[in-house]
Amino acid sequence: MMDLRKSFRTGFLKKRVRGIEGVSFTVPRGTVFGLLGHNGAGKTTTMNCILDLVHPDGGEVRIMGVDHRRCESRTRVGYLPERPYFFEHLSGRELLNFYADLLGLDRHLRPARIDEVLARTGMTAFANRRLRKFSKGMLQRIGLAQTLLGDPDVLIMDEPMSGLDPMGRRDVRELLLELKGQGKTIILSSHIVPDVEQIADSVGIIREGRMVATHSVDEFSDGCSYEVHLGSLGHEAAGQTLPPWARAQLAAAAGHRQSVTADDVAQLQELLAVCHHEHIPVQSVDTRRTGLEDIFMAAHDQAPVEVQK
Amino acid sequence: MNNHIGALAFSTFRETVRDRIFYLVAVFGFVMLASTAVLSPLNIGAQGKIMSDVGLAAMVVFGLLVAVFVGSAMVRKELDKGTILTILAKPVGRREYLWGKFLGLNLTLVSMLAVMGVLFLAMLFMAPGTFSLRFLYAFYLTFLELMLLNAVVVFFSTCVSPVLAAVFTLGVFAVGHLSESIRDFGQMQGTAVQRTMSEVIYYLVPNLEVFNVRAAVVHGDPVTASHLLMATLYGVAWTGLLLLLAGAIFDRKELRG
Repeated sequence: MMDLRKSFRTGFLKKRVRGIEGVSFTVPRGTVFGLLGHNGAGKTTTMNCILDLVHPDGGEVRIMGVDHRRCESRTRVGYLPERPYFFEHLSGRELLNFYADLLGLDRHLRPARIDEVLARTGMTAFANRRLRKFSKGMLQRIGLAQTLLGDPDVLIMDEPMSGLDPMGRRDVRELLLELKGQGKTIILSSHIVPDVEQIADSVGIIREGRMVATHSVDEFSDGCSYEVHLGSLGHEAAGQTLPPWARAQLAAAAGHRQSVTADDVAQLQELLAVCHHEHIPVQSVDTRRTGLEDIFMAAHDQAPVEVQK
Repeated sequence: MNNHIGALAFSTFRETVRDRIFYLVAVFGFVMLASTAVLSPLNIGAQGKIMSDVGLAAMVVFGLLVAVFVGSAMVRKELDKGTILTILAKPVGRREYLWGKFLGLNLTLVSMLAVMGVLFLAMLFMAPGTFSLRFLYAFYLTFLELMLLNAVVVFFSTCVSPVLAAVFTLGVFAVGHLSESIRDFGQMQGTAVQRTMSEVIYYLVPNLEVFNVRAAVVHGDPVTASHLLMATLYGVAWTGLLLLLAGAIFDRKELRG
């Protein structure tokens, strides 16, 4: 996806409102890409653009090399919308038969395939129940079943765990990991960071319609910071011997706290060496793992919206 | 038929049937029985004709109600609820979707007309000297009229709200049956502007009187093969044009979940 742009006209005066602006990312085959952002950030618009459900104002989207505007681009794609809703007059099995027709599945192989996806999504017991009697979680599961029906190579899932209870979330997480293990390419959106962190190979953080950061999960999975709690500095001159970044932190705290944060092991070693040399007491050192959540929050807190690669 | 269109048409048909649309057929049967009871004190000869008139008109009205009230909300409901997203995320074209919906509603209308037609003929069979297979002409042309109105409602449902789509379609039904009279009146009485307006209305709105052979069938007047052929071509041409326009509008539509 390259430089995708989309705006909408809303209200009586048809004022133009930005949906997404210059969103670009590539998802290599067999990997999982997590699209993170708050509600209304532009995740669903991005997914709808990929599937040509809304027509982008500009940019380029290719699904397995095929232009997304062509019907064939969706042949090997499974899509789960947020809050999936289906024909409520049908039973679960009838619904899957309907989608099997749309996918052109072989009539002889179809019953076995439907049974398989019903079993994988835990819906076998409810296969013959009408959808109007389904709970929200059951609708989400039958939605997952229709997504998997055609054994797609690419899965696009908008908030796949929303509406599920903790057991359901765990089941879906395991299912996604299993699909990842099978080499499926998955794009999933969420505003719940841990859901994405456990599954994705890379993430894109979207804010106010712009991709503000993209990261490989490997970049942050081993990252740590260290909070060093210092005792009394004794005299002012001792403070002056601290590394400049530590002095800046203490100055910013204006005496409210006596701790500094080292961003990596090198900074920690530098600080501890100075403390040892100047006899500055170190009360404790806390290790903080830098996770996706920190990066997500930092990306959202930063003032300017700049596209980063 | 294309597999996608067939699947969508059958699903639409099943949805309308399970929405208990066929209760309307029961109402039709009741109307027919009631009309027999009310009309029985009248002259024996006139009773059959009036019953035929009432029955054929009721078929059009009930068919119109289904086309307008089911058809106008059909596409919008799927847009609002998001059902359409999972369908069009499959390798299904937008025009295939519209055609599937259109044919599914037609399947419902044909089934309704078939049941109402059998009920109608059974009632006539009991009134001596009224039964005739010529009523099949009226059934056929009623179906063509409803098919065209179905295309009108599908067209409007792609660009306006369900309420407006229903109102506009009812408007097309009313004007479509009066367009010849409006044009004739404009030509005879009106100013230059009125004459032009009446001419524009005549060509802009399908002339539904082409499909009205009910009086001729009831009174035993001839219905020629050339008229049936012309009405068929006229109905198919208008239907095709409306679906083409609807497809062009729907292609550009933003489908937001």
